[in-house]
Amino acid sequence: MTRRSPQNPEMIAGALKLLPARWAIAILVAAIAYVVLQPKLNQWFGWNLPSAAAMLGQEAPAAKSKQPPITKPDTAANTKLDTASSNKTAPPKPSNPKPAPQKPTLANGTDATSSKTSSGSKTSSNDSEDLKFRFLKPLGRDRYESPAGLIYTPGSEEGHRLKHIERHVSDQPNRPGSHGVFDGDMESFLTAIDDGYKRARGHAKGTKQREEEGMTVFEAPFDKPIGYLGGSEGARKGKPKLKRLRIVVRDKNLITAFPIQ
Amino acid sequence: MVLPYLIYVRTCPACGDGLCRVRVCTHQNKLAGCVVCDECESVWTDPAMSEKFTEGVDSYTASCPDCGRSLWEDTSHWADIQEVCLLGWYDKVKVART
Repeated sequence: MTRRSPQNPEMIAGALKLLPARWAIAILVAAIAYVVLQPKLNQWFGWNLPSAAAMLGQEAPAAKSKQPPITKPDTAANTKLDTASSNKTAPPKPSNPKPAPQKPTLANGTDATSSKTSSGSKTSSNDSEDLKFRFLKPLGRDRYESPAGLIYTPGSEEGHRLKHIERHVSDQPNRPGSHGVFDGDMESFLTAIDDGYKRARGHAKGTKQREEEGMTVFEAPFDKPIGYLGGSEGARKGKPKLKRLRIVVRDKNLITAFPIQ
Repeated sequence: MVLPYLIYVRTCPACGDGLCRVRVCTHQNKLAGCVVCDECESVWTDPAMSEKFTEGVDSYTASCPDCGRSLWEDTSHWADIQEVCLLGWYDKVKVART
C-alpha cells in the first residue's frame, strides 16, 4: 500500500502550504464531503469505501466491520449449509461485498442456463439447503424471500415449495402428459424465475399475466431456450426446446414454475 | 407409499403442466375424495372439475373440500384404484403405469 503515513501531520501541513490556497480549500472540501458521504454511499450502493479513520490507520477497514455478504440464520440446517458450501463456493472477496445472486449474466435471462453442466449432476438436497442461504433471504420459520420479492414457503406434497419446483430441473419420462424441464441447476432456475417474474410483473414485452381463482399465472419469454419438454409427451415429440417460463403465485407466494412452449 | 401407477383425470386447465389427480382425505375415518393438480395445487370437488375449491386452512395450501384440512397432512394421500372405485369415479379417471 502506498498510503500516506498518518503519523506525519507536519508533512501534510507542509505539503498544503506549498499548494495554492484555492487548491487547498478544494481538497479540504472534498475530504469533508468524503467523510460525510462515505457511510451513506456504502449503505446505498453496497460499496466498501474505507472510512476516513480507517485511511488514517485508526480503525480496521470497513470490510471487516460490515456485515458479511452471506446471511446465515441460526438453524440446524446451517450445519448442512456449511459443509455443502465449503466445497462449492469461493470465500467472498472483501473488495466486492455484493452477494452472489446478483449475476448480471443470468438476470437478463439471456444466459440463464450457463451453469447447467458445471457439475453434470442435478441438485441434491444439500445443494438446495446451500442455495437457500446464498440466493434467498430467510424470513424465519422456513420461509425465504427472493431478490424479486417471491416468497418460498413450506407446503406442497414435497413439504416445501423449493423442493416442489426442484422437480422441474429433471425429466420424468414416465409421467403422463408434458413436464417442463429447466435445463440447468436450481440456482439458475431460481434466478430465471426471479427474472421472469420481475419482467412479467412489469408487463415487459412478450410477457403475459392472468388471474385464476385465487392465483396469478405469469409467463415470460427468454431469448434462448431455458429447457425442454419432458414427460411422455416430450419424449414423443423429441424433447423440443422451451423458451418461456410459467410462474404460478398466490399473492407473492410462489406455488410452482416451469418452462413451457 | 409410492404406487406403481398414477391415477389422473386430465392435464390441469389452470396451469397447463400438472396432472389433476384424485386425492383422498381420511380424516375421522371418513373417505372424502377430490381432484388436485399436482403442480399448481388447484382443487376441484369431483372429476367433472366444474367446481373449484379455494377455501380451507389458508389460501396457500390445497385443502380438503370436505373437512378443510390441508391435503398434505398425514390424513391425505393419492387415491389407489380401490379408493377411486369406492368414490364411484373409476370411469372418470385414467390410469398410467409409472
